Amino acid sequence: MAGTALVLEGLTKRYGALAPAVDALSLTVQPGEFIGLLGPSGCGKTTTLRMIGGLIEASGGRVLVDGRDVTALPPHRRDMGIVFQNYALFPHMDVAGNVAFGLEMRGMKRGEIAAKVQAALDLVRLGHLAKRRPKELSGGQQQRVALARALVIEPSVLLLDEPLSNLDAKLREEMRAEIQDIQRRLGITTIFVTHDQAEALAMCDRIAVMAQGRIAQLGTPHDIYEHPASEFVADFVGRSNRIAGHAADGRITIGDLAIDAPAPVAPGPVTVMIRPHRIAFTAGGAGWNEVRGSVRRVTYVGDVLACEIAAGGAAFLVEQPTRPGAPPPETGTEVRIAWRVADTLVFPRESA
Amino acid sequence: MIGRAAHRTLIAALFLFLLAPVVLVIPMSFSADAFLIWPPSGFSLRWYAAMWRETKLIDAARNSFLLACLVCAVTLVIAMPAALVLARGRFRGREALVALLTAPLLLPTIVLALALLILFVGYGLIGSWPGLLLAHLLVALPYGIRVLMTAVSTLPPAVEEAASSLGAPPWRVFRRITLPLMLPGVTATAATGRDVPLRGKPDRPAGRRGVSAAGAADAQHRHRAGARGGARADAG
Repeated sequence: MAGTALVLEGLTKRYGALAPAVDALSLTVQPGEFIGLLGPSGCGKTTTLRMIGGLIEASGGRVLVDGRDVTALPPHRRDMGIVFQNYALFPHMDVAGNVAFGLEMRGMKRGEIAAKVQAALDLVRLGHLAKRRPKELSGGQQQRVALARALVIEPSVLLLDEPLSNLDAKLREEMRAEIQDIQRRLGITTIFVTHDQAEALAMCDRIAVMAQGRIAQLGTPHDIYEHPASEFVADFVGRSNRIAGHAADGRITIGDLAIDAPAPVAPGPVTVMIRPHRIAFTAGGAGWNEVRGSVRRVTYVGDVLACEIAAGGAAFLVEQPTRPGAPPPETGTEVRIAWRVADTLVFPRESA
Repeated sequence: MIGRAAHRTLIAALFLFLLAPVVLVIPMSFSADAFLIWPPSGFSLRWYAAMWRETKLIDAARNSFLLACLVCAVTLVIAMPAALVLARGRFRGREALVALLTAPLLLPTIVLALALLILFVGYGLIGSWPGLLLAHLLVALPYGIRVLMTAVSTLPPAVEEAASSLGAPPWRVFRRITLPLMLPGVTATAATGRDVPLRGKPDRPAGRRGVSAAGAADAQHRHRAGARGGARADAG
């Protein structure tokens, strides 16, 4: 199936007089693209997905599928496959019945349905469980049935609403790869809602990080992680040291420390953010920021060594892979730590 | 395993205890005696022959059966949409409406009956089919609404949304998903709706069913006579 272009234009959802749950959100999804809506709970990501699928009515704006305005269409005429967080399988039908449902609604012939159902179940490697009831399946199997049921109707757009959050960690990684494989193979335009940044980074072509009903940043996983547009994005995606500083004369002071920023910064209070694993116990050089501090705490977890370094009245968390023959530093010792200027993220202080 | 066996035995014993009086009625109906004696001295069909001669009883049973079907159907037709709206809707006065609609459950039947009698006399409804239907609906509907509301609110989340996203228009969602999943509640409601006329009151012990049918026949005769009497009084 060829991918479909999905365009959201100023999509808005208001509940009474409250601040809008989704606030004039615009997004253009390329045919076959896998887009993640990532954000904390209450950011409007699920509301956006439900408006795309027609499960709730938009208060304003438009949803366009291949240029066709579907905003006023009820869900059963939108031709979108939805996978729900709790799977929402029909408990009174067996697996094959669940998958066949959408085809029956399309008035397809019995023989054709059987063939398509079998193909869809084979796609998710559940061909042998067609006669089971949903409650006789494990969480991961139910999830795959839900996926097969949404895919078998060959929808124009696939909507995934936190599909992995009810699975345990190991299964979640398996399903992550499986959903990604299937999506690539079918080339189906997909919207994936999640609050898990690792999931979004691992699976999506592009991610829309959402906050308060708006897109805070739209970009590839690499963009979002390496060049976060705001303190919120830097904080929500990945982990960061978050240190208060002050910008003046082209440099940033943190207590009695002075460091360089990768780009000119307007003078005033700033938040400096540095990923813990980008800081190393080395001397700096050209293009590096180097500070001296004392080791306050050392946490050794086998593959990672995490140290908290006190410097300039701030705490720097440093994470490095462990190596044989490199014993962890002692608490209280003086150390030098350094990171690339390019890894220094500087944002004007949001609540100055 | 022992625990499970004990559990099953207990359940079997309970069923036996509850159903024994009902089961016993069957062999006793073939009794050849003039009085209720266990064990009967002999078996015959004399009581069945006697029953068919008892036209009052047959009429009453037939009326009760028709009424049961009618009450059952009307209850489902009214209670199903009402339950859907009351369980799902978010509107002002919803709680009050639920309380009002289920209020008859709180009243002792005798109070209801007296109130109905006083009210019905004024409208000439005593002993009429519309009157019977209304009176029975008053008891059957609250049960129906209650049970079906529970059935609606325990529907698994999002299945209806899933069905509609798969291309099912609203009535097919109801027919294929909502209704089948509510079926236990619907069956319970239908049973209550049928039960009210047959037994007089849903929680009445099953053993009195036969007596109740006969009682209903007498009551109906009295009502009819009363209504005719009332009409004559008006004419005079």
